[in-house]
Amino acid sequence: MSDAEHKIDVYLNEVRSLLRGMGEEQSREIIAELRSHIVERASAGGPLTSANVDAAVATLGSAQQLASEYVTDELLARAEVQRSPFRILDSLFGWASISVAGFVVTITSIVGYFLGGLFVLVAISKPLHPADAGLWALRESTGDLELSVRLGFGTPPINGHELLGWWIVPLGLVIGCGLVVFTTRFALWCVRMYRRSRLLPRRD
Amino acid sequence: MTAIYLVLQCINVTDSILPNSSAAEKWEVQLRKGCLELAILAALWGGRLYGLEILRTLEHESDLIVPEGTIYPLLSRLKALALVESEWVESEGGHPRKYYSITDAGRQRAREMAAIWARFSSSMSRLLAPLAEAK
Repeated sequence: MSDAEHKIDVYLNEVRSLLRGMGEEQSREIIAELRSHIVERASAGGPLTSANVDAAVATLGSAQQLASEYVTDELLARAEVQRSPFRILDSLFGWASISVAGFVVTITSIVGYFLGGLFVLVAISKPLHPADAGLWALRESTGDLELSVRLGFGTPPINGHELLGWWIVPLGLVIGCGLVVFTTRFALWCVRMYRRSRLLPRRD
Repeated sequence: MTAIYLVLQCINVTDSILPNSSAAEKWEVQLRKGCLELAILAALWGGRLYGLEILRTLEHESDLIVPEGTIYPLLSRLKALALVESEWVESEGGHPRKYYSITDAGRQRAREMAAIWARFSSSMSRLLAPLAEAK
């Protein structure tokens, strides 16, 4: 294997390792297309040399940047077909592992989906555990008041009282579903912002 | 939320990295970003092209110079949306090329976008006519 071919392999292996959350077939297709591009670019002005490969790779950007664009574009394509929180989180995990922005957006989305799911769960649990499930205000030993969402497991706490009663059912469903929808929109907005910042067509 | 805002602002700093970019140039970049998807579909309207050919077509026909690392993820997304399809063809040089062609759904999307573009462009031209006369 020549030095030029070795450089192509090193770059593409790095890109492949960062394409997390994508299927094996899709990753293989992406790598094959990038290899074709690099070879074509690098051999356009003559033989395939190490310097030409370096120049061709430089126009594609760093492996991390390139993989990040694939992962976020994949997320947007998925979201356009189906806005499932699970699918969005699956793609976000891939983005989080290669980008600081992806990490922040993923953590925020996890918190948003968790809280949304919690409110929906407590609304569902209320009819099953009417005495315990709900939003509780608990008095701690230090005298501080603490809010607690209880799903109905265990015994009702003696040092607190329930705040919303049966109102937790409609409110929990509305707030929970609202949080899930808001989190999805927020995550997609962040991804679109990121992608727009990467697209810099210009006129020389 | 403040941390997220700061991170996103840092991401957007990329926009300001453009050399000697004035406010008008930044606005032009935003404008070009918005029409990139339509430009790619339009480039494929006449027949199949591979990645580098699409880049050259955009450059020659529309002055759109797209970073090479950006075009492939974008084509991948258009393919996932079934707006384009692809096939591998062996080139004369011996290496395979991935050719893209526009699908029926892609043609429909391009027509819709082109109609919106024409309507918007026409109304903006009317609005901007006094500015041109004032020169």
